[in-house]
This record gives sequence, C-alpha cells and structure tokens, in this order.
Amino acid sequence: MSHSEDHDRTMSPLTTTTSRLGRMGRRTTLTAIAVTLGSAVLAGCATNAPQDTWKPAGENAQKIQNLQWPVFLTAGVVGVIVMAAIGIIVLRFRDKGQPIPEQTHGKAWLEYMFIAIPAVILAAIAIPTVGLVMALNSTDDTECIINVTGQQWWWEYDYEVSADGTICGFAPSAVEASPIITSGQVVIPANTKVLLRGTSRDVIHSYWIPRLNGKRDMVPGRVHFLRLESDTPGIYAGQCTEFCGLSHANMRMETVVLESGDFQKWLDNELEPYSAPAAGTLAAEGEATFVAQCSRCHQVNGLLDPNKGTLVVSYPDQFVYSGASPNLTNLMGRNTFAGASWDLLTPECRADVWDATPEEFGAKYLAGVTPECLNEIDLREWLRNAPAKKPMYADPTMLDETDGKTRGMPYLGLSEDQIDQLIAYLLERK
Amino acid sequence: MFTTGSKLLLGATVSALVGTLLYGLLVGGIMGTVGLVSLTVGLACVAGINISTRDANVAAEDAVTTSGLAASTLRPNASIWPLAFGVAAAVIVLGLVVHAVVVIIGIVLMLVSGLEWLLQSWSEGASSDRSHNREVRSRLAYTAEMPVAAAIGLGLIVFAFSRVMLGVATKSATIVAFAVVGSIVLLGGALISRSRGLSTPRMFGIFSVAGVVLLGGGAVMGLQGERDIEAHHTTAHYAELDECGTEEISADEHASQTVAGKASSAAEVILDDSGLFYELPGINQKRTGSIQLPRSSANNILFRNETNTPRRFIAELAEIEGSPARLCTALVEEGGVQLLTIHYPVPSFDPVVEESGGYALVVAGVDDRIEVVVP
Amino acid sequence: MAIIERPSEEVALAPSSVPEVATPSTSYGIFRRPVETTGWKSWLFTIDHKKLGIMYGVVAMFFFIVGGIEALLIRLQLAGPNGTVLSADKYNQMFTMHATTMVFLFVMPMAAAFANYFVPLQIGARDVAFPRINAFGFWAFCFGGIFLNTSWFLGGAADGGWFMYAPNSSVAFSPSNGVDFWGLGLQITGIASLTGAINLIVTVINMRAPGMSLMKMPIFTWMVVVVQFLLLFAMPVITVALFMLMFQRSFDATFFSVEAGADPLLWQHLFWIFGHPEVYIIVLPSFGIVSEILPVFSKKPLFGYPLVVFSGAAIGFVGWGVWAHHMFASGLGPISVAAFSVATMAIAIPTGVKIVNWTMTMWGGKIKFTVPMLYAVGVIVQFTIGGLSGVTHSVAPSDTQQTDTYYIVAHFHYVIFGGAVLGLFAGFYYWWPKMFGKMLSERLGRWNFWLTIIGMNLTFGPMHVVGLQGQPRRMYVWTENRAGEGFFNIGFWNLVASIGSFVLALGVLTFLINVVISHRKGTAKAPLDPWDARSLEWITTSPPKEHNFDRIPTVGHLDEFFHRKYEDRGSGDHHEFHQVATGEEVVANEEAHAESHIHLPSPSYWPILLALSLPIMGYGIIFNLFLLFGGAVLALVSLYGWGLEPHTAGDDEFDPPTGAALEVAAHG
Repeated sequence: MSHSEDHDRTMSPLTTTTSRLGRMGRRTTLTAIAVTLGSAVLAGCATNAPQDTWKPAGENAQKIQNLQWPVFLTAGVVGVIVMAAIGIIVLRFRDKGQPIPEQTHGKAWLEYMFIAIPAVILAAIAIPTVGLVMALNSTDDTECIINVTGQQWWWEYDYEVSADGTICGFAPSAVEASPIITSGQVVIPANTKVLLRGTSRDVIHSYWIPRLNGKRDMVPGRVHFLRLESDTPGIYAGQCTEFCGLSHANMRMETVVLESGDFQKWLDNELEPYSAPAAGTLAAEGEATFVAQCSRCHQVNGLLDPNKGTLVVSYPDQFVYSGASPNLTNLMGRNTFAGASWDLLTPECRADVWDATPEEFGAKYLAGVTPECLNEIDLREWLRNAPAKKPMYADPTMLDETDGKTRGMPYLGLSEDQIDQLIAYLLERK
Repeated sequence: MFTTGSKLLLGATVSALVGTLLYGLLVGGIMGTVGLVSLTVGLACVAGINISTRDANVAAEDAVTTSGLAASTLRPNASIWPLAFGVAAAVIVLGLVVHAVVVIIGIVLMLVSGLEWLLQSWSEGASSDRSHNREVRSRLAYTAEMPVAAAIGLGLIVFAFSRVMLGVATKSATIVAFAVVGSIVLLGGALISRSRGLSTPRMFGIFSVAGVVLLGGGAVMGLQGERDIEAHHTTAHYAELDECGTEEISADEHASQTVAGKASSAAEVILDDSGLFYELPGINQKRTGSIQLPRSSANNILFRNETNTPRRFIAELAEIEGSPARLCTALVEEGGVQLLTIHYPVPSFDPVVEESGGYALVVAGVDDRIEVVVP
Repeated sequence: MAIIERPSEEVALAPSSVPEVATPSTSYGIFRRPVETTGWKSWLFTIDHKKLGIMYGVVAMFFFIVGGIEALLIRLQLAGPNGTVLSADKYNQMFTMHATTMVFLFVMPMAAAFANYFVPLQIGARDVAFPRINAFGFWAFCFGGIFLNTSWFLGGAADGGWFMYAPNSSVAFSPSNGVDFWGLGLQITGIASLTGAINLIVTVINMRAPGMSLMKMPIFTWMVVVVQFLLLFAMPVITVALFMLMFQRSFDATFFSVEAGADPLLWQHLFWIFGHPEVYIIVLPSFGIVSEILPVFSKKPLFGYPLVVFSGAAIGFVGWGVWAHHMFASGLGPISVAAFSVATMAIAIPTGVKIVNWTMTMWGGKIKFTVPMLYAVGVIVQFTIGGLSGVTHSVAPSDTQQTDTYYIVAHFHYVIFGGAVLGLFAGFYYWWPKMFGKMLSERLGRWNFWLTIIGMNLTFGPMHVVGLQGQPRRMYVWTENRAGEGFFNIGFWNLVASIGSFVLALGVLTFLINVVISHRKGTAKAPLDPWDARSLEWITTSPPKEHNFDRIPTVGHLDEFFHRKYEDRGSGDHHEFHQVATGEEVVANEEAHAESHIHLPSPSYWPILLALSLPIMGYGIIFNLFLLFGGAVLALVSLYGWGLEPHTAGDDEFDPPTGAALEVAAHG
C-alpha cells in the first residue's frame, strides 16, 4: 500500500467526522451554546487531568459530550430555579406574626403543570439519548478489530489479522505466524474506526479511555464491544473502572494514537524477528536468566533456549490463576509496565513524550525506552519483589484456593546480579 | 409438676421410643428407623418444651379442677372422631379386599382420628372453662396441625394444578386457560376487597367453592389422563458419528436439543448448505478460514445447524497433558443451537499444538474447517 | 390479633382516669415468663413497639458511628496521593463494609426505628399487629449486624464491594471468610426486614383508628407502607442471590462459574433488581418525615397530599423497572440500555413532584425555622442536587463516562445523605420530645445542622469534580500522574473532601453531645405539643404510655390534631382559623374519657432466642457444620416454645390476680 493511498483512506473518515459534528452543532442552538460554554469553561480552567471526561479527543467521546452538555445545563438551570424558590421562601414566608394561612390542599392545574414540565424536558432528553445509544453500539463502520482481554490486573491486546492478511488495513512487511500481542498500551492508527472486542480471563474489568469513549465492562465468558477513534496522535490514559480485587487501583491502560506512517513503522517493528543479544554481553547473560526465571510465564516471541536450541513457549496457564502474563517481546517499545501502573520512562522522558505535540509525538513514542530514559528505580523494585509493589494477594497462605497458582507476578528471590542482567536484556526488547 | 398436656406428650414420646426400638430391632429398615427416630426426637423436644414452660398448664392453677367439683360436671362436646375412627376401620377392611393403598390410607386416617380423639378428650377435661380448654388444645395441637395441614393443602393445590395443566389439550390452550383463571381470581379478589361487609361464613363459602372447583378439576383431569406429550428422542443412536469416543453417549441421552442462544458469545459457528462459516456476534459478516481467540479464557462458541442432517460440532484441541483432545456437542438437530465453552491453555504456535494439527473448529461429517489462532 | 380486649363485664372495677394495664404474674412455669417493666430485662424481652423502636434507633446509631469511622479512614487514605493509612486489602474491606453498614445497618433500621415507633401512634393503634414478630425482627437485625461485624476479628471483612459482583466474590478471588460473613449477615438482617414489612403492612391495613381512611392517613405512614411493600418484594430477590452466593462459596455450586457455562451478569441482575428498589427503601421514609415536618412549621397542610401519596406509590412501582441503569456499562446491548435509560428518566417525574409539592407547601406559609424545619429544608436543597445529578446519568451514553467514578459517589451521597440521613435527623429533632419527653437544644441543633450541611457539601461536592476529572471509585490509591493541574486538580479536591468529612463527623458529634446534654438530670420536661403539630401521634402523653392512647381517637380529618385545636370561623370561601384548644387540652380530654381494661401482649423470651439461633447457624455454615446443627436445634426449640406460648398471658396470670372467686362466679 503506497503512502498517498494510505493518506486518502484515512482522510475520508476525518471529513465525514467534521461534517457530522457540524450537523450536530446546528441541530439545536442549545447544543451549540452548551458546547461553546463548555469549551469556554475548559479553556478558562485549563487542566490536563489525563482522564478528564469533558475533554473529548475522538468522535465517540465528542458525541457523548455533545449530548451531556445540554443535559448538565438543563439540570443546572432547574437546580437554580429550585434554589431560588427556596431562597424566596426563606426570605418571604418567615413567621412574622401573620395570620394562619389558608389550609389549602393544592391546586389541580398547578400540580398538572408541574408534572407536565419535567415530562416534556425529559422527553426532549430521551430522544437524542436513544439515538446516541444506538450509534455508539453500531459496528457497521468498523475498520480495525483489536481483541482485548482483561485479567488481574492488566490488559492484553491482540491484533486481528483480516482475511487479506492486513492488520487494521495496514499490510505488515514481515510475514510472521504469530499475531501481534501487547499489553498495557494499545497502539491504534489515527482516524480509524477501531472496534475493541473485549473479554476477561477472571473477574469483570471495565475498559475506559475517557477522552475516546465511555466505559464498557469486559466480562468473562462474554465478548463486548467498544468503539475507539481519535484524529490526534498522543497517549490517552484510562483506568479499570469495575472493581476487580486487590490491585484494582493499579490496573490502568493507555491508548496510543499514531499517524498512519508511524503506525506502519510500529507494526513492522512489532513483527521483526527476534534478535538474540550479542554473545558475552550482560544482556546475553540476561537472556539465560530470563529463560531460567521468567520464560515459564512471559513469552518473548522467537526466543530460543540457549542450551537446547528449541523455541521457548511460556505456560502461564500452569502458574498464574488468570492464565496469562504479559508478552515481553517488545517491552521497551511501550513505555509502561505492570498493568500500565508504572512508567518505564524517567519522569523527564515521560513528560517529553506525553506533552509532545501531535506532529512530534509519533517519532518520540517510536523511539521507545533508551538506556538513559529507563526508569530503573521502579523496574528494579518490581523485579526485586513484585507483590510488595503491587498488592496481589492479601494472604499468601490462601493460595490453596487457587491450586497454588499465583495471582499476578510472585516474589522470585532474584539476586541483584540477576536483576542487572535482566534489565540489560529487557532494554534490548524493542 | 407434670401437667396433663405434658403427660400426653411424654406418653407419646415413650410410645414412639418403644416403637422405634421394636421396629429397629425386629424389622430394621433404614428409612423406617430414621423416620421413627425423628418422630421420637421431635416428640421429646415438644414434650421438653412443654414441661419446661408449662405454658399449656391449666390444671396446676385451676382451683375448680383440683377441687374435683366442676370438671366432672362438664359434659363432653360433640365429636366427629369416633365416626372417623370407625370409617377408618371400615376403609382398612375394604382395602384388604381392594388394594393395598387403601389400607395405608385407612391406617393413616385411623391414626389421625385416634390422635385427634385423644387430644379432644384430654383438652375437654383439662379445666372447668370450655373456652380456656379450647385455647389450650389449639395451642398444643396447632404447632403440629398447622404445618401438616399447610403442607397437605399446598400439596393438593400444586397437584391439582399440575393435573389440570397436563390435562389441557395443548400448550397454548393451557396459557389461555390460566390467563382466564388468573383474571377470575384477580377480579374476585378485587370484588371481595370492594365489599367491606363480607361476612366470614360467606368468605369461607367462596373459598370453599374455589377449592372444590380446583380439586374437582384436578381429579377429573387426573382421571382423564395427560395430553399427548411429544416423546423426547434421544440422540444416542447417532453415536457412530461421534468422534469424541463412547463416553459421550450418556451425554447424548440427556442432551437438550436446543439451548437458548447465549448472549455476547465469542463467535457463532454456522453450518448451512453452503458450508461452515462463522460470525462474530454484533458484526454482520460471514467469515471462513481462521478465527482468533484468546488463550486461557473461557471462549463461548455457539454452533447453529441450518442443514437438514443432525450434526455434531467439535472443537479440535491438541494433545496437551491434562486436557481433552477434543470437545464435542451432542447432536444438534436442524435449526438447533448448542454451546461449547473452550479453554485453550497454550498458544497455537506451540510445537506440540502444531504437531497435532493445530486448533480447529469442525463438524463431524463435513470437510470444512475453521482454524483457530490462539496468540 | 395480639391486642386482646378483656371482656370487662364480669370484672368491672371502679372506673378510673388511668386505665388498668394488667401485667402477668410471676409464678409461671419453671421458666418464669418475663414480666419486668423496668430494668434491662424489660428491654431485652419487650415486645412494645416503642421500646423496640428506641432500640432500633440506638443500635442503628451505633452502626452509624461504626460506618462513619470506616468512612473517615477511607477519606484519610485518599487525602493525598499513594495513601498509606490502609493497605489495599484493608481499604477494600473498609469501603465494602462502609456501604454495607450504612445501608443495611444504619439507614434501613433507623427508618425502621421511626416506622416502629410512629406508625402505630399515627394510625391510633396500641401496638403493631404481631408484636412478638416485631421483637424478633429487631433482634435478628441486631444480631445480624453484630455477626457481620465480627468478621473484622475473624480473618477480615468482606472485600468485594457492597454490590459483591460475581465472579470476584468467589473463593478463588476472595479467599477469606469475609464474603461468607457478608452474605449470611445480610441474610439475617434480611429476615428482619421481611418480618418487619409484613408486620407493618398488616398493622396499617387492619389497625387504623376508626374514621381513618387510607387517604386520611398521615403521609409518613403512607411512605412507610410503600417502603414495606418494596421490602416485601425486594428482599426475596436478594435472599435468592445470597443463597446462590452461599452455595457457590460453601458448597461448590457453579451459579457464577464461567467455565461451567454460567454468566456472571446473572448476579448483577439479581443484585440490582433488589438494589434499585433498595434506594427507594432508603429514601422514602425520610421523604415521609419531611412531608410531616414541612406542614407543621409552615402552618399549612401538605400541598397536593394525594399527589405526594401517589407519586410515592409511583416511585415504588417504576422503581422496579430501572435496575439496569446500574449496568449501562455492563454490555447489555443497545435496546436494553435505551429502554432502561428512558425508564430512569421517567422516575424523575414523581420525584420532581415531591420536591415541587414540598416547595409549594412552604409557599405562602407562616414558617418557623426550627432545627427540624432546617433539616427538612436541607433535604429539599441537597436532595435536589442529588436528583439532578441523577438525571445527568440517566442519559446512558453520559453515564458510561460517569459510572464507577467519584461523580456517582457524589450523586448517591447527595441522595442518601442529603435525602435520607438529613431526613432522619429532621425526624430526631422533631420527634425527640415525643419519644423521650425532653427537647433537644435548639442552639446546639443549629450548630449540628450547619456543621453537617457544610461538612457534607465539602465532602461530597468535590467528588463531582474529581469524578468528572476521571477518578474511578474503589481505588485504594490515586496517583499524581492522573491528577492534572489547575483548578480541577484531583489532589486538591480530594484533600478538600477529606477535610469536609471531618467537619461532617464533628456535626454528628454535636448531635450526640446534644442528646447527652438534653438528658442531663434537671432539664425541663418538654411541653406536650412543642411544635403545634398536626397528626395523631401527638394526641397522647410524651413519651406515650405503654398502651399509647387512653382512648382510641376517632379520626375525621387528614390533620386530625390540628383540626381539634383550630376551628374554621370563616364562611363560604373565606377561611379563618382560630385556636380553640391547646394540645394539652386535647390530650386531657382524651384522658378524661379513658377506656378501662386494656390488655397488652406480654413480653416473651422466644423472639430473642429465635433471633440468637440465626447467627449461630451462620457461624456454623462458615466454621463448623455441627454448630449449624446446634443453631438449628435452638431455632426449633424457640419456634415451638413460641408456638406453645399464649401471646397474651391468661386472665389468671395477671397481677393483681383476678382471683379464683371471680372466675367461679364468671363460669357459674
């Protein structure tokens, strides 16, 4: 696929998006006022809380925003009216020695009016609500399917390869049997209507990127959909919002939006064959340690056992209750670890990537984690004793209930040397 | 110390104990022994409570009775129990001629009427105050009578209803009939609640009529017999099509022919005359070739058979230790739907899986194949 | 029926102004029947609805403090980023138990306290229909609550959230016994609610004073009846769900096991079919209290009484059709979501009707802003905020942004604290002189009110902000990375909320101080009719006598007491009300015409014993099945003892004994 074609393909949804937004804006003056007011308030109190629900960065969230502003406004107006009435009552009808008021039991017309007014307001809200519910659940315009699977306490993504061998409409350069599988951050192309098909391996989790769409629970045994789309490259933060046990607070996710060219690069990098570390380096020792200590659960695609020369396949199903551990093939290509709870980048490098302009963002993100930028502190703590950093089970003696399988990464008792080796090895995984 | 009521209960307890011992030693049936032991324990419990609370005690503080004056002058009330006892004896004799069941009914009737007789005569002599005696009797007896009567009453209602339901010619007629009955009950209830002055006897009359109608209906329908209910064909004779081995046969015998479609399944595999394909629910797109499913997750796959031949849906798994080589549904009839919950423990690129031919979804007797990619 | 009027012809004594209340004699059986009218035994074995009401109140207040301490710990943990006050495990237990305690052990029983105490008084009855069941209900609640909280000391409390979603509630994910305690504890308190519901429904339907038609019934009683019907139908649903949970956890059932083909959404549906009506169960009694207080202090009848009644009933009905709005993000499919979204909007109409009618009741009134009135107005204002934020997430797409964030926490605290709890406090101040014959201090009351209002708005107001800024609920820590900067900074508002929670705690503390001060020795007795009230419960002494009314009042008006005090001297359309009697005079008139020979049901050991067997069985299921057997034996013994015991002791067991001579004479 040539670049210009690519561009056309991705441009067309953008134009339809804008025109649709325009139609919506014109639909009611109220909406327009609300949106203006909304943006004014947001501009006035500029904030960059990454999970702000009122700062849409994609079509789906924008549609929600367009509906909820007038509703908030109406609610606010009604509230002010009630408060004003109470205020008047407090001021005017105090007992100042006036005679006992008439013992009236009500006025029928007044009461009917007070039923009719809220009914009309609510009907006016109900109609667009139903329309939007349907629109947010439609799947007809899907351009890219990504499967997402939640487990305690992280998300795993695998990219669906369509019948013609493309991924999200992009042809991968390398032909690799195993699909792309990542965790923590999902990378999507800009201006593409992505459909997440989500499920869970253990308890119910909820997928939520506030700036791209509302949340959707991911329930074991069921597959639910969530539409994601954005036209602005960047990282969009989210958080699991269905209480999912001990480390619910540490289950985060991030959606990374890349321009089509950058996405193609990312895709090609993901599918690059495994390159073993050069012999005699610290990283090579790290590979051996990894095979001995980590590969039971963590898959690195293409990794060969240095002793036997066979392909190393992990079996987390036997050791972890949820049955999965993050795939580490391109760990340093993403910039978080442990359920996106901790950054692989130092705070400065992180800020550099997060605050990058949409134009610069792609290159900065694709650079991955360089040795200078590596947040060694958190990564070391994690390798030293993972459950101490991220609570995984309240009482280790109760592991019997899960047939001795751990929930999340156990304490491995690695020596500092082993940790050094592993970090050197992992730094090359990108 | 011991009131008449306590004596009655103690006596019953002792007799039950003796009965239990005799039965246990001489006959020794498990159910019988358990029943009798329960009876003994229950009676002992009630007797104990009665003694300790002495709530049913009358004689102890009834000056008139203890002086022996008034109690003897009270004439006994009319009683139905001697008659019932006699009828029971007749029923037993009749049963000996006709059928064993009638004998059992007769014995139960005799026991009940005997016990009630006993209770009545005891309570009438308890004190000199008739109303007090009635109250004492009901207090003691209701704790047993009410639960038993309620159980029997409910049982009769349920049984009569079920007979009527099974007797009505078709399923839809049943629905109509019960909608009508329900409306009548509702209407009747509304009317009763409207007329405040409805006297107790009239209420009793109305409920009696309703009860008689119900029981009568049940009896008539029960004698008439059930409607023709379509026989449930098992699919055991299709076992030869089975690739899952013989152990699946017993599942076939009890398999429901169609399960309700489960919402939000991972995929819906459909076999029609054009072949085998699948859809991802919510995405209206026929797909063939391969499907991508998550590892170590409960994947619910629905199979829908749109062909004329009953088919068996099979998930081919690999030869991995500790998991079955394949999972099968029972035979799915035309238009039927069944569900498999599949758990893939290792990815499809694992050498063991590749050697055994990879994961796939197939239908026995059909060549089409959907490869399963497990990342 | 429990109240037995003794036939008085044979034993006619000299008529007296004070009716004779017969009490059982002491010589009775091996166990004496409890007879005490004073001392701790008189409370333990009482079946008097007023004593039970007070005990409901005391125990509920205790659990309010427990739940409040849990809330303070939660706020301490969240005051700053990466809080270390609580571990993740303890935090999860804390928010689970905070919600469970507040809902099941505070608001519901506190409403039951008022219902128990005032429904018989408001309808002119001497007690509830089934006084022993009433006692059993209280003890089941009390023991259930204690049972639930013993889990803190027996391996940890429940940690799955009060909604206890499957499969996170199964043993693999929650291996401690906490969830078992939770399920069984709620089962036990559920029995209490169910028995209470049946009891009050029968009481109100059958035992109203002569002349009191349903549409002349005080509004509080009306709301209580609606709530009891809700309980009657909602409790069985949660009972089934809890049994499923128990079988899943204790006996390896697979109701929620996905591998066995189950669908975890089943639990959510069951829980919310109960859980949503539960919201109205919590809030409607307070609406009733507010609807009582506003007319009294506005000197006007409730505006649109029939409409308030019917809107209450409408809420009760429609409340059953909106449960899935708790599940908009659960993946139900667009049709269900749209339908439940519209139904949820519809329920805003009857709720709005109430607000409007309250406002109209005050409009044109002659308003005295006493502390109960302040609280009632507080309810209108605070609940309106909660109701309107509720409308914003009846819009399902908008709700998918807000659900499970602090915005929802803000919303339901405005509803539950602003609607229900403030209403209960209004009830405390309003009815305190009736219940205890002492006035609570108005000055301290005002401190109490303003501290509470400021505290609650400081605590729950900022939660709107942090919720819309994307802070999810139930997280034991929040991080600077997601906090943002500027005015909407999550960290700042979390700190404000934490400070607010302590102000709120101070407000509640003021109430407790007020209670203590008002009950010091030597404080003046409250006047009989301190508020110039309008309904039946005031036509008797304060506190009411054991038999409530010397003469069962005959009712002619909706606001009977008001109409006995005031007379319309106007003509035609012109109304002019003049006081013709004081409250004291009305009550004195009743006393002068007292009925003689009132038999009240006698106290009993059995209700408390039967209730005691329930937690024993609960411990049995969790720890040892033999204990279950022991509990079952106690239950059986208590049931039969109860069945064998006369509800009212016989004539000859009363003191003063009516004597054998009289009996002989009577029986000829």
